[in-house]
Amino acid sequence: MLTYVAGRLLLAVPTLLGVATIVFMLVRLLPGDPAAVMAGPQATDADIEVLRHQFNLDQPPLQQYGGFLLRLLEGNLGISTRSGHTVAEEILTRAPYTIQLAVLATLLATVIGVTLGILAATRPNTKLDVAISATSVFGISMPVYWLGLMLIVIFSIKLHELHLGGLPAAGASDWSGFVLPTTTLALFSIGLVARMTRGSMLEVLGLDYVRTARAKGANRRTVLLKHALRNAMLPVVTAVSLQFGALLGGAVLTETVFSWPGIGRLLVDSIFSRDYPVVQGVVLVLSVTFIAVNLLTDLLYAYIDPRIRYD
Amino acid sequence: MGNRVFALLLAAGLAIVGCGTGGGNAPTGSTSKHGDKLTVAIGIDPDNLDPAAQTTTTAQQIVDMMAEALVSIDSKGNTIPLLATSWTNSPDGLSYTFTLRTGIKFTDGTAFDAKAVKFSLDRLLSPETFKAQKGVLNVISQVDAVDDTHAKFTLKSQFPAFVAAMTQTVAAIVSPASVNVPPNTPKQIQQPIGTGPYKFSERQAGDHITMVKNSDYWGTKPNYDTQIYKIVPEATSRETLVKSGQADVIMLPPANDLPALRNDPNLRVIMSQSDRTIQMVINTVDQVVPNLQKKEVRQALNYAVDKDAIIKNVMFGAAVPLEGPMSKTLAGSCPTGSYGYDVNKAKQMLQANGAAGMKVRLISPTGRYVQDFPVAQAVAGYLREAGLVVEGPATSDWPSYVSGIVLATPEKQAQKTDLHLLGWAPAYLDASQQFEQFYSLRAAPKGQESSYYKNPQVDALIEKGNSDPVASTRNKTYCDAAKIVWDDAPWIFLYNQKLPLVTTSKVTGITGVPNEKFNTVYAAPA
Repeated sequence: MLTYVAGRLLLAVPTLLGVATIVFMLVRLLPGDPAAVMAGPQATDADIEVLRHQFNLDQPPLQQYGGFLLRLLEGNLGISTRSGHTVAEEILTRAPYTIQLAVLATLLATVIGVTLGILAATRPNTKLDVAISATSVFGISMPVYWLGLMLIVIFSIKLHELHLGGLPAAGASDWSGFVLPTTTLALFSIGLVARMTRGSMLEVLGLDYVRTARAKGANRRTVLLKHALRNAMLPVVTAVSLQFGALLGGAVLTETVFSWPGIGRLLVDSIFSRDYPVVQGVVLVLSVTFIAVNLLTDLLYAYIDPRIRYD
Repeated sequence: MGNRVFALLLAAGLAIVGCGTGGGNAPTGSTSKHGDKLTVAIGIDPDNLDPAAQTTTTAQQIVDMMAEALVSIDSKGNTIPLLATSWTNSPDGLSYTFTLRTGIKFTDGTAFDAKAVKFSLDRLLSPETFKAQKGVLNVISQVDAVDDTHAKFTLKSQFPAFVAAMTQTVAAIVSPASVNVPPNTPKQIQQPIGTGPYKFSERQAGDHITMVKNSDYWGTKPNYDTQIYKIVPEATSRETLVKSGQADVIMLPPANDLPALRNDPNLRVIMSQSDRTIQMVINTVDQVVPNLQKKEVRQALNYAVDKDAIIKNVMFGAAVPLEGPMSKTLAGSCPTGSYGYDVNKAKQMLQANGAAGMKVRLISPTGRYVQDFPVAQAVAGYLREAGLVVEGPATSDWPSYVSGIVLATPEKQAQKTDLHLLGWAPAYLDASQQFEQFYSLRAAPKGQESSYYKNPQVDALIEKGNSDPVASTRNKTYCDAAKIVWDDAPWIFLYNQKLPLVTTSKVTGITGVPNEKFNTVYAAPA
């Protein structure tokens, strides 16, 4: 097990180096001069030159790349050209909000999605099954942007019930701001998880061992939750963890509609202002997160299915 | 309200004779009405709050609440005293001496004096300061604290608009002691400590900036204990915030909802004036479409576009027509004529100049200015009606637009487009700032004159105006230049944009400032 984890972690190093290199090149291939964007309309070409120098943008690309890698080895992600804060600071102030939203949305999606999936699988081709399938398709295909705005209109304007998202004021205990963005994000995943669970459960329920269990007289509940569900969970776990990984990368549209100060908006704002260090830093950190989530998922497989061994 | 206008007019009048008592942040005579918290939703997250590094008006107006400059702009666009009570300039026009207000303290308790003025302006001019945007203030060669209450500025060359330029946020005065208090460093200020009516309280990047009332403020004290500027990037979300009462004031609602918002009894729409002109810039040296080098063809394009219809139907009233190549709010502007909509005349002129049916390409940013892309689409439609073959409008993100179009060489620009939509908003209200767009020495990539327009007569007039210390002759010179520019038509002159604001009916006292800022300092519960 430990050897397996160590091997996977070692493999992550070249992956991250590749990511770092690609993102370093990609941001510089984007048209648009960061210094010109920073300088504002009244600047002279001399002013732009001063800014270029301040941020080492006047160095040859190879030298910039070397500096970037050296700093990376020291664990230094650089300084944001937008704010002047360290990239680590920028990420750390945003990450908690993204993590909170991702965890809540994933929990909600998993609980509701799996429940709906089991309900649908145990009553195939009934009205309930059709209704659940239709809802799942609705959840998956609804544009997040539209859904978010609709929820805002219904709950905040018409019903005056919920905080519109964005953080509550400092010291306030009103966390209703979480409800709408979490729901918006979860709806997509609920659809996905419900469909995966239904499909997977239907397959497992048709297998011999389930029939045997039933024949042995195990009650329906035990058969469903103990025998069938555990085996049906593998593809669902994969789907959920992929979703979770993606959510940790920030849900740009949801964060924008609900004015949520998460990682996704930080990344997009940084791309639009050509803040190279932040773009590089965020992409790297997200890659590390994704690799970690994938590794954890693989380890979780072994727990769910004892036949899987990482020796 | 009447009192306040009177006070501002009085202050402006006094400023002209150089011994004012009022200030931009400190209108006298308003009755105070206590409020707990004002929530303002804005569209962009300020990059940072360092006064010296400011380029965006929305971020500037937040910094203005905490750190004040020596002079300010009133709601009419006049330069008025703020931390300075008066100023004189030397006969050669090369030095200015400001007399400072006395007995004022920064919000960290240290005294405001001429040393702080010298410190703040030296800091702006230092290449060490993070992203310092000295711009035209680069003209300063030296700042001296003559005594505690007099600061003298020596200039490298004559610059009659110097006092107006000192109204900019970058020239705000900060407490010298505050730059050594973490998280501030001499290189970068994260929490500005000035003399303003509000003090920095806390900031969550991407979410909000909170300021609390400075109860020791030297001028009229504000009404709200706390003001929260909330970052809400999506216009529809801002609109829902004000509709549901979760924000008291928002800027830039979706333009197409303006008619409905005006009819909502719980809301108030304020059309704040701006100095931003919006134009379809023409590449006047275009090698791909050489016809655009002819002034008659460019005039024809101006006749071909119905500006009034665009203002009414696409801008929903959030603009006023242009009467010259700049906003009326600029000192030195004058009416130069109008290109009334006349598609037949346009067709005739195009025909007469061998440009009938010519092909032009058009590009516009999306979301940079109010309704920018829909306006570009409308312009394209009008040009088609005049018989042109129009490709576009294309669009691109702002950094690519700045580098690839606005700051490109004429050849590079012509590879991509012939016409491009652009907004231009002078940082301070002086015609010289607008003429940056018509002065050939500022042609891109050296400056941002992206039409590459060059008329030696106009260049000479601009240079003459820029160094003329006498306001009346200076304005006359600018007016002569403006008339020639208007006739040469390097742009399709579209309109002067406004800044739409929406407040709930529970709030009053939000005022616009014509340099595209708005002032919430003296907001009051209705």
